[in-house]
Amino acid sequence: MSQKEIAVEMRNIHKIYPDGVVALKGVDFIVKKGEIHGLLGENGAGKTTLMRILYGEIKPTKGEIKIFGERVKFSGPWDAIRKGIGMVYQHFTLVPTFTVKENLFLSLLSINPKATIDEAIEKAKQVSKQTGLRIPFDRVIEELPIGVQQRVEIIKSLIREAKILILDEPTSVLTPVETKDLFEALLKLKQQGITIIFITHKLKEVKEITDHVTVLRRGQVVGTVETSKVTEKDLARMMVEREILFKLEKKPAKPGREVLVVKDLEVYDDRGLPAVKGVTLTVREGEILGLAGVQGNGQKELAEAIAGMRPVASGKIIIDDIDVTQLSAFERYKLGLAYVPDSRKVGLIYDMNIVENVALTNLYRIISKKSRRMKWGVAEKIASEVISKLEVVAPSLSTPIKYLSGGNQQKVMVGREIVREPRAFVVTEPTQGLDVAATEFIRKTLIHLRDEGKAILLISTDLDEILQLSDRIAVIYEGKIMAIGKPEEFTLERLGLLMGGVHA
Amino acid sequence: MPKENILYKFIRSLIEKIKIKKHEYIMATIEIVLSALIGFLVAGIVLYVMEYDPGEVFYIMFNYGFNDPEYLFGKAIPLIMTGLAFSIPALAGVFNIGGESQLYWGAFIGLITTYYVTQYTGIGTLGTIIGILAGILAGAAWALLIAVLRVYRGINEVITAIMLNWISYFTIIYLIIKFFTNPIIPHQSIEVPEKASLTPYPGFIIAIVGTLIVYYLLYYTDIGYKMRVSGLSPASAKYAGFDPSRAILSSMIIGGGSAGLGGSLLILAISHNIDTTMSTIYGLGFTGIGVGLLGRNHPIGIIFSALFFAGLLIGGQWVELKTGAPPMLSDAIMGIIVIALSAPYAYRLLMNYLSRLKKR
Ligand SMILES: Nc1ncnc2c1ncn2[C@@H]1O[C@H](COP(=O)(O)OP(=O)(O)O)[C@@H](O)[C@H]1O
Ligand SMILES: [Mg+2]
Repeated sequence: MSQKEIAVEMRNIHKIYPDGVVALKGVDFIVKKGEIHGLLGENGAGKTTLMRILYGEIKPTKGEIKIFGERVKFSGPWDAIRKGIGMVYQHFTLVPTFTVKENLFLSLLSINPKATIDEAIEKAKQVSKQTGLRIPFDRVIEELPIGVQQRVEIIKSLIREAKILILDEPTSVLTPVETKDLFEALLKLKQQGITIIFITHKLKEVKEITDHVTVLRRGQVVGTVETSKVTEKDLARMMVEREILFKLEKKPAKPGREVLVVKDLEVYDDRGLPAVKGVTLTVREGEILGLAGVQGNGQKELAEAIAGMRPVASGKIIIDDIDVTQLSAFERYKLGLAYVPDSRKVGLIYDMNIVENVALTNLYRIISKKSRRMKWGVAEKIASEVISKLEVVAPSLSTPIKYLSGGNQQKVMVGREIVREPRAFVVTEPTQGLDVAATEFIRKTLIHLRDEGKAILLISTDLDEILQLSDRIAVIYEGKIMAIGKPEEFTLERLGLLMGGVHA
Repeated sequence: MPKENILYKFIRSLIEKIKIKKHEYIMATIEIVLSALIGFLVAGIVLYVMEYDPGEVFYIMFNYGFNDPEYLFGKAIPLIMTGLAFSIPALAGVFNIGGESQLYWGAFIGLITTYYVTQYTGIGTLGTIIGILAGILAGAAWALLIAVLRVYRGINEVITAIMLNWISYFTIIYLIIKFFTNPIIPHQSIEVPEKASLTPYPGFIIAIVGTLIVYYLLYYTDIGYKMRVSGLSPASAKYAGFDPSRAILSSMIIGGGSAGLGGSLLILAISHNIDTTMSTIYGLGFTGIGVGLLGRNHPIGIIFSALFFAGLLIGGQWVELKTGAPPMLSDAIMGIIVIALSAPYAYRLLMNYLSRLKKR
């Protein structure tokens, strides 16, 4: 392979974020000119980080980069753009209140200050013809569907004469039809000699469109392979293989009656597109049902629908034989449901103190029914109980929650649910961003709750967590349950396949 | 002894609070001192350039501004209430700059109900009480209109409030000239009957009681708790199962009610009538925004900040009188000082509001 044929060569790339997270550990990443190269990996594997480095947005802690054989050191995306690199982010970077042509003009200006808007339109029309990606020039961005916005985003890169196009999980926001259009366009671009780096976690897409694929796992390259020479199974194994680091002591589960039942549930996401497509789940007393899946496959919408924060399009949610589908979150909590959201920004009010935060989901115990007075004395007692039960380290009850460490914040969020003795728990990403000690504490707490007979639905993108805690495992992909069963029924490989959308 | 225990507990909790928020309090103190220095420096420079002696002006402002308690407290009454009218909605994440018109309607409705109730029943006290209540209701209803448009129609409350301010201004002038002029003094409205009117001190006490009720609502009832949660984090409100829109509605009702109370107290205790140029009631709502910001959106803080404002306003009048400076100059000086003092807090509030607007 001559130097000329290599578009991207990244060698021994390390990245440690300022907060100490080691995202990449010596990654070698080589992409041939004119190919579609897949970049595959679980959440947090480091895919986005690697590409942000290639695009000059962040600097590697160590390592070197060559573009078309030339050694480069980018001080910002503008340098990368000049070298012919374009990037389409998971979140778009268009000006929402500008029209399509204004956005295109703006992006052309960044490489050529003398460009005119007609030039931009002319170029875009050419690109549009070559790729079959049609865009409405006079429409305002924010009025367009996400799929069309993405097309504008791609064309924006192409009119700047990008020779290497990076797409970060482009299909995660698209409908199946839009995905098909996108793939057709990508193939046309490939014919014209454009190099494409395609990030995804969907195995089917890798097989369908890429020539080579590099698999990342926990900041390291597992391997780069020719796509036609591997099966989806091989890829799944590469993506998820791991040693279980520490095992938790766990008694066998003694599941009792059904406490939380979800029947044929359909829920829409914020954009009004179906996110949960007919999910049926049952969680029994004294068991943990682990819901595995890659982020953005409907988990958030499912959890919010169960909690009552998001309307249900169809289907039923039953808690303890009571149909709660039409009840508010407040009423569901009263009936014995607890929900720990995946984001502490949602669960906690940073500027309020511990007592006020504990009050949030315990309101029905704190408001005096007659006078609507807040019984702060009661709230303080509950807060003290949380602190002592979960060993929260805090200077005092009146400390604003923002001054607590992440682990202690998480303990407050979990603890305030535990002390009100609910029967069903929906817990999402309970250990995200926590250190080892806090993680173990939270996980042990969940097992303890299970042993006390609570029904727990654990929604997590962390496979280790799912494998450690679950008495049964379900896998969600694009809003549908791919499989459900005992942990013994799932090998790592099978989990990887299911999470990547392949029935196995 | 139980009494000592309570005191002891109170002091201990106070010390603890200071300890925990030490950093915040130190920063706040530095902020205020720096702001004050900058404010007086800039004001001093302006005075110097305009060829006035800054020392003399500041001396008059602060000496004469605060030496007539009855005048001072009277002046503070409407400012406390319009300060609340801004701050209560602000806690729920709404920018109510309509305190101005909410006060107008409180004043206008308060005036005519007091007048007619007193006339028909002959009982002054009854006129006063009904006038006060009617004023509160009028202010609350007017604010509710803004909130309803925001919640159910998505219309930005700042725009609605500005338009309603002018609509109210001219409507009330029209109504007074057309129906309620004083037959003896034609450029004034009918007068609050003597037996129904109040003096500044009782008026001030009613304002304080109103503020304490607001304080209780905000910090000791679920209405206030829900409002504060919604203001700080609408997502958390949804998580807990209550509707942030409801919090917007209730905060505007309470805020508008406060401005309305301010209007009726102004009429009952201070001006006793409305002149057809609205000169006695114009601007109090806008000043209330400064009062609320300077009081850091806290009811108790607002009482003190309203007194400070009232003192500056009175002092400004003395500056005009004693140095011959035009009224605009003392307004400007006061503006500079107030802006400097409230800018850091206002900045944080605005950033918070804008980031929320984006998400909407
Ligand atoms: N800006 C950041 N600051 C600190 N840590 C980050 C940042 N961005 C990503 N990370 C962390 O780096 C790791 C890799 O993340 P990312 O590159 O986004 O993975 P992927 O795109 O494969 O899901 C994760 O552990 C993530 O939490
Ligand atoms: Mg990513």
